[in-house]
Amino acid sequence: MPSATVNNHRPRELLSLLASADPEIKVRALREVKNQIIGNRTKKLSFLKIGAVPAVSGILADSVDNVIDSNCNNDNINNILVQSAAALGSFACGFDAGVHAVVDAGAFPNLFRLLGSSNEKVVDAGARALRMIYQSKLAPKYDFLQQKNMEFLISLLNSNNENVNGLGASIITHSCETSLEQKALFDAGILRKLNGLLEGGSLSQRDASLESLATIFKNNPEIISKFSGPEIGRPLSSVIDLAKDRYPRTRLLACMCLIVIRNTSPLFLQDIGIKTKLIHILLELLDDSGQVGDEAPFAFSSLIAQKEDLQELALEANAIDKLLHHLQKGSLHPRRYEGILLALADMCSKMESCRSKFLSLQVLNLVTDALTDDSADVRTAACICLKSVTRSIKNLSAGYFMDEVIVIPLVRLFLDPSTSVQVAALGAVSNIVVDFTTRKSIFVQCGGMKQLVQLAKSMESAVRSNALWALKNFVFLSDNRLKESVFSELTACLLASLICDPEPSVQEQALALVRNLIDGCINSIEFAFAEDGLILAAIGRQLQSASKAEIGIQGMYALCNVASGNEFHKEAVMHQLFPLMDDKNQSFMMKFLQSNDSQLRAATVWAILNLTCPLSPGASGRLEKLRNAGIFSQMKNMVNDPCVDVKLRVRTVLGQSMAFGNN
Amino acid sequence: MPVRVAEISAPSQVSGTISRHTSPPACTLLSVGQAFSGTQNVSSIQKEEAWRVNVRIQGCDLEHGYLCGTMEALNVPMADTPIVVTFWEGEIVDTKNYTFFTGKWDASPEDDKRHWTKFPSFLPLLSQVEIDGGKSLDLSNCPYIFMRWKEQYFVNVGTDCGLTIAGFYYVCFSCSDGSINGFYYDPNSRFEVAALSTQRCCNICSLV
Repeated sequence: MPSATVNNHRPRELLSLLASADPEIKVRALREVKNQIIGNRTKKLSFLKIGAVPAVSGILADSVDNVIDSNCNNDNINNILVQSAAALGSFACGFDAGVHAVVDAGAFPNLFRLLGSSNEKVVDAGARALRMIYQSKLAPKYDFLQQKNMEFLISLLNSNNENVNGLGASIITHSCETSLEQKALFDAGILRKLNGLLEGGSLSQRDASLESLATIFKNNPEIISKFSGPEIGRPLSSVIDLAKDRYPRTRLLACMCLIVIRNTSPLFLQDIGIKTKLIHILLELLDDSGQVGDEAPFAFSSLIAQKEDLQELALEANAIDKLLHHLQKGSLHPRRYEGILLALADMCSKMESCRSKFLSLQVLNLVTDALTDDSADVRTAACICLKSVTRSIKNLSAGYFMDEVIVIPLVRLFLDPSTSVQVAALGAVSNIVVDFTTRKSIFVQCGGMKQLVQLAKSMESAVRSNALWALKNFVFLSDNRLKESVFSELTACLLASLICDPEPSVQEQALALVRNLIDGCINSIEFAFAEDGLILAAIGRQLQSASKAEIGIQGMYALCNVASGNEFHKEAVMHQLFPLMDDKNQSFMMKFLQSNDSQLRAATVWAILNLTCPLSPGASGRLEKLRNAGIFSQMKNMVNDPCVDVKLRVRTVLGQSMAFGNN
Repeated sequence: MPVRVAEISAPSQVSGTISRHTSPPACTLLSVGQAFSGTQNVSSIQKEEAWRVNVRIQGCDLEHGYLCGTMEALNVPMADTPIVVTFWEGEIVDTKNYTFFTGKWDASPEDDKRHWTKFPSFLPLLSQVEIDGGKSLDLSNCPYIFMRWKEQYFVNVGTDCGLTIAGFYYVCFSCSDGSINGFYYDPNSRFEVAALSTQRCCNICSLV
């Protein structure tokens, strides 16, 4: 009769029992530790805190040498090995802190040694424990490029023991990262072995094989084409068949493998039938109430992301309705909640028809509710979903999104402790503030504008650049009153320093913000001259050393807008373009005009166009200076620029220069 | 030229990202925020009328051949209010998403040809359009962009304001100087011709 006191010991009591010299007591204690911690994260943590893992690891280490003695039939030793391995595996199962502790305690190599035992139960226990560890990213990386490691891996895959060959597959899934490693595995004939497990293995072996194959295929079109070749049988069809398997997890893993193949080698799986099937299978897997249903939306996202043809098929398959239906269920596991929101974001990312469908169902509240979820990942996903939906220009124009219900919770997220949430919230707000109905007061009243300025000072460059993006959109086509309030909050000094920020993405957004501030009535050009021309000087400095075309584009358009003003403004721009008296030094303008980037060429020509407007008094002087700098010769080379926009602007400039009687 | 940028975080918002090489070129003069001002002339058997219009581009998605914006009509004789604002959506004839044949809005290919040929810049394209609607035309170097604009709703007045938005405009935009010309088509309209002509608004002195 089982003892009534089993599983009733407190952790500390068990710890001292583990130290007992009596092997039977030790085994019972190990078993009880394992039983207490299985599926119980809190218990795992308690045992961890009192040093249970090093203790169990020590027990394993003390006994593992006996594995070398292949004639060891000592039941006590074998039981200790089995139970200590099982306990360590349970600590590691789904619990990163446990994995960390097991590896730190030095148990890892000893667990591998168990695989050499003649006792099947010992081998099983070792393999299972290692498989649990390898499910975690924290497991030590396996070096496939070492010959003996590859041989050992092959021996694992050759084993008849399901746990052992499953371990081989898990190691591949965990540790294969580079194309070099993928090639090494392919050259060692691993694909053929995995395919063998795929076609003739048990459920567990098939699933493990699917995961490993996906890892080896990822971003490696060469290996995929070899896998699909005739010499390895018909493995691609095996995977396609498994996508219709009766087990949900197998269907999911098969779909994920096919998606990896398709994303890596778009020539494969082009058939509309297979695309539609994948969509339907994944949408149906959402109905699974377990982990498969949690992961299905992520697989769906990876299938449709950035691909309009698939988004269109998914729309026809009522994907948006189905995703929203699951969202409506409420009380979702955070992983599933996040996945569904991201899937909706991907569906609405490119096509207005999808956004229209989403909005027509009038369930935007399901997404705004997620903005206050406990999980940072869910909040981030909700923001990303809103960012996609608010790309609907039609609805932006109608002022549909400038609503307290949407704006206020988003602005609150500007103060979120998670940077990724802040950045995602900024992304959504950047769209919403492009409001043509002049109802931006909602955003100002809830403190949104002031918070954006604060975020522009963040230590995180991603936050700074996204905050500037939002401000740039906020002042787009705004009246001068609003621009003045932004400018006085931001200050010329801060804006100038952001133009010269160490991060190029921040520089670009700061320059674009200036461009938008200056645009409009002539009074707004004065923003560039505030505080003794701090901003104008910063623009000139930045253009001298622009590290990427986008910075040049925004900077030149900012100067172009200044040059649309009066004589004083135009001369001030010339001073930035030619800071030294010696005209012979090549201005950055020449570099820009010769750039491969057509937008940069266009922006530069627009600035020249404004500077040489025939109706302004000083135009001929500026023309002369530009000519002396070789700019006009360069422009003559551009009369047939391959970009039509550039070509037409160049011709306009050259045409208007003829008003001065020069050619 | 003062230019503005509003980068909605959409890949489709960026100009010049058309994937097919035969689509019309991106143009800085036809982009989000650009404004145009001109007149709409309406003629019938009894009389001719004209009123000022202001057009603002609010959305531009070249990848999908989509454009949208608002049109303000000032002092329209039959209207109840001095300013009537409508929101319109446009189709850019890019031979990928849209051809010269409308295929809807009660416009037959004959109606299409009859209107497009009112634009002198269209005439070199006519023969190919008669064959296949212009599907195989290469518009990548064409200095004109052809569009259809369809007003979707009244922004500031009700549908009983005395005006109609049942028809649509055939539009020709000049990439050189940003001028827009258009002809309104409404099979039920009592007006024979309605022409829209605008020049781009700008605050600088170099382009008029």
